[in-house]
Amino acid sequence: MISIKGLSVSYDRKMVLSNIYSEIEEGSLCGILGPNGAGKSTLFKAILGLIPINSGNILIDGKPITKQRKRVVYVPQKGDIDWQFPATVFDIVLMGRYPHLRLFQRFSTHDKDLALDALRQMGIENLKNRQIGELSGGQQQRVFLARAICQEAEIFLLDEPFVGVDITTEEKIVDILKQLAEAGKTLLVVHHDLSKVEDYFDHVILLNQRIIASGETFSTFTDDNINKTYGGQLTILHKTFEV
Amino acid sequence: MELIEILQSTWAIRALIASSMVGIMCGVLGAFIVLRNMSLIGDALSHAILPGVVFGFMIAGYSVLGFFIGSVIAGLLAAVFITWIQQNVKTKNDAAIGIVFTAMFSIGVMAISHLSRTEGVHLDLKDFLFGNVLGVSNEDLYLTGFIGIYVLISIVVFYRYLFATTFQPVIAETMGISVKTVHYFLMLLLSFVVVASLRTVGVILVVAMLITPAATALLLTNRLQKVLVLAGLIGFASAVSGLILAIIWDTTPGPAMTVVATVIYGLAVLFSPEKGLVFKYIRNRQLNEKILAEDILKQALRLSEKGTVTVEKLSDKLGFSTAAVRGKLPSLKKKGLFSISNSKIELTQEGRTQATRLVRAHRLWETYLVEKMGLTVEQIHEDAEKYEHILTDEIMDEMEERLGYPVLDPHGSPIPKREKLPTLSLSSLAQNQHAIIEKNQTNEYIITKLWELGLMPGSDVSIKRSAAQFIEIEVNEKLVKVPKELSDKISIELK
Repeated sequence: MISIKGLSVSYDRKMVLSNIYSEIEEGSLCGILGPNGAGKSTLFKAILGLIPINSGNILIDGKPITKQRKRVVYVPQKGDIDWQFPATVFDIVLMGRYPHLRLFQRFSTHDKDLALDALRQMGIENLKNRQIGELSGGQQQRVFLARAICQEAEIFLLDEPFVGVDITTEEKIVDILKQLAEAGKTLLVVHHDLSKVEDYFDHVILLNQRIIASGETFSTFTDDNINKTYGGQLTILHKTFEV
Repeated sequence: MELIEILQSTWAIRALIASSMVGIMCGVLGAFIVLRNMSLIGDALSHAILPGVVFGFMIAGYSVLGFFIGSVIAGLLAAVFITWIQQNVKTKNDAAIGIVFTAMFSIGVMAISHLSRTEGVHLDLKDFLFGNVLGVSNEDLYLTGFIGIYVLISIVVFYRYLFATTFQPVIAETMGISVKTVHYFLMLLLSFVVVASLRTVGVILVVAMLITPAATALLLTNRLQKVLVLAGLIGFASAVSGLILAIIWDTTPGPAMTVVATVIYGLAVLFSPEKGLVFKYIRNRQLNEKILAEDILKQALRLSEKGTVTVEKLSDKLGFSTAAVRGKLPSLKKKGLFSISNSKIELTQEGRTQATRLVRAHRLWETYLVEKMGLTVEQIHEDAEKYEHILTDEIMDEMEERLGYPVLDPHGSPIPKREKLPTLSLSSLAQNQHAIIEKNQTNEYIITKLWELGLMPGSDVSIKRSAAQFIEIEVNEKLVKVPKELSDKISIELK
C-alpha cells in the first residue's frame, strides 16, 4: 500500500503539487489522469524519492522509499533514452536484478533465468541479443516492462506506457497489467487517453496540482469530475474536435 | 636492424610499457566518457591538474608521488567546481567547464613561470603539454602500472553501476544507486588516468587518447562489454605504433599516437561493417542493382502470361536498352531465377515465386494507401513501384492482417498470398490433433501475433474447431481463436 499524507512539492517557488492525500491499496490498477502540467510525473518522482518535497510524507507499506527500493519499479516515459547506446535487450532486462544484488555480487543463473522468463512473458525472447535502437516502438516498451517484471517488484509506476505503441500491443500490455494486479501487485499508470479509462483501470486519481477526486473508476470518473480536473482545457479540446 | 636495437634499450622498453598501459586505460575509461557526453570534461580535467603538479613540486620537490597527489587533488577540485557551478549558477554547462579549467590552467602557468624566474627552478611546460615518454623513469612506470591496474579493476568490479548510471541515470537512482557518487568516482578515475598519461602524451592530447579509440570502438560494435575491450585494444595499438613511428621518424611520440588513433578512427568511419560509409555506398549500389533485377523479374512474369519472353520485349516494357537488360541476365540465371535457351527466356519455379512476391508487395501497398491513407486509385502506382522493392515479408504480413486479408487490390487485380509458408503449419492439423508451437517462426511479426494471442512458443496446442474465418485451438485449458490466414503462417512441430 502506498500512503501519501499532505504532500506538497514546488519547483522554483512555483507550487506543482499541493497538499496531496491518497492511499493506494494493494492489487489496484490505478490510472493517474490530469492535464499537462498537472504534476503527474512530479507525483511519481516524489514517490520514488527523486526530488525534494516541501512537506508531507510518503510511505510504502509503512516504510519510506529508501528502505523499499527493491519493491518499487519505475517505467519512465520513452522519450529521454539514447537509442544508440550499446546495450542489448538482455542487458537491459537484467538491470531489473540490480537492486537484489549486493555490492560485489555477480548475476546468478537464477537472475538470468528470471530475465529470460520475463522476456518470454513479453514475447521478445527472440530479440534478446538485439541492440535497443533496432526495435520497434512496441517492442521497446515491452523490453522496459520485461525489466520491471524481472525486478519482481510489488509496486509499479508506469509513466505513459502506451505512447508510441500500436493498439494490439497496447491491449496486450493492459492484459498483463491486469494479471499483475490480480496477483496482488499495485500499479499506478500515468495516462492521457480518456476514452480507455473505464476499460483499463479499476481506480483513478484525477489530479491537477491537487487531487480533484480519487477512488473506484465507476464512481470517480464522472463528467463532473473530469470537467473540474481539466477545467477550460477540455472544453477547448471538445471544440476542436467539433470543428 | 637499427630500430630493433633502439627498441631494446632500457628507455625504449620503459616508454613502450608506459605507452601501452596508457593506451589501454585511456581507451577503456574513454568509452564511458564518450557515452556520458563528457569529452569536454576530459579535456578540462587534464588542463586543470597543472596547478596540482606545481604545488606538488613546491611541497615535495621532484617526486613522482608529489606530482600524483597534487594532480589528483587538483583534478577532483576542478570536477567539484564544475559540478557546483552547473547546479547552482545559471551558467550553461559547457561554459562552466570552460571557465573552471582555463582558470586553473592559468594559475598553474603563472606558478611555473614565477618559480623559474625567482628560484631558477626549471619545470618544463612543454613536457607537461606534450609529454616526454622517452624520459619515463622507473617511478613513473610503477605509478602508471598501479593506476592502470586500479582503473581496470574498478571498471570491471563496478561495471553494473557504470552501465546503469550511464544508460539511464534516473532508473539507476530508483534502484538505489547514487548517481552522484558514481559521477565523482568516475572523475577520480579520470584524474588518475590523466596523471598517468602526462608523461606519455601530455595534457593537450590526453583527451585524444580518451575519446578517439572509444569513438572508434562505438562505430564497430553494439555491446558495451565489447566496446570496452575494443577501445582498450585500439588505444594500445595507437600508443605502441605511434611510439615506434615517432622513433623511426624522430618526432614527438604523443602527437604521433594521436595521429595513429585518428587514422584508425578514419578507417572505421569508412569501413565499419554496419556504420561505415563504404559499406553504406556498397549497400546502396546493391539496392539499385536489386531494384533493376526485380523489375526485370516482374516484367518477365507479366510477359510470360501472354507468350514468350524475349530481351526485346523486356527492354521495351522496362524502358532500358537491350544491352542493359542483356547485361543483367547472366546474374539472374546464376541465381537460378531464369533459364535461358537460344533466345528464349523462361522463369524458373524460384523466379516465379520471387516475381509473385513482388506483385504481392505492390498490390498490398496500393491497397494500404487507398484503405488506410485515403489516397485515390490514381495516386498510388508510382509509390508502390518504389515500395515493392523494400517491403519485408514481416511488414506484408502485418499490412495484410490490418487490411483484413484483402483479395483484390484497388484496381481489381488479385493479391497473391504469401508464397513461402511453413511446411507444417497450425492450419494443417486435424481436429483434436496435438502439436507444439515452434520457437522459430518465419518472421518477427508472427511471433508478436502469437504473443498477443497468448500462444507461447513451445506450448502444447490442439485443434478444437475449424470454421470458415478462424480455427479454434486449446492451449493451457483455454480456447483461442486464430484467424485462418494467420494459422497458415504459424510453424508447428508434431509431438
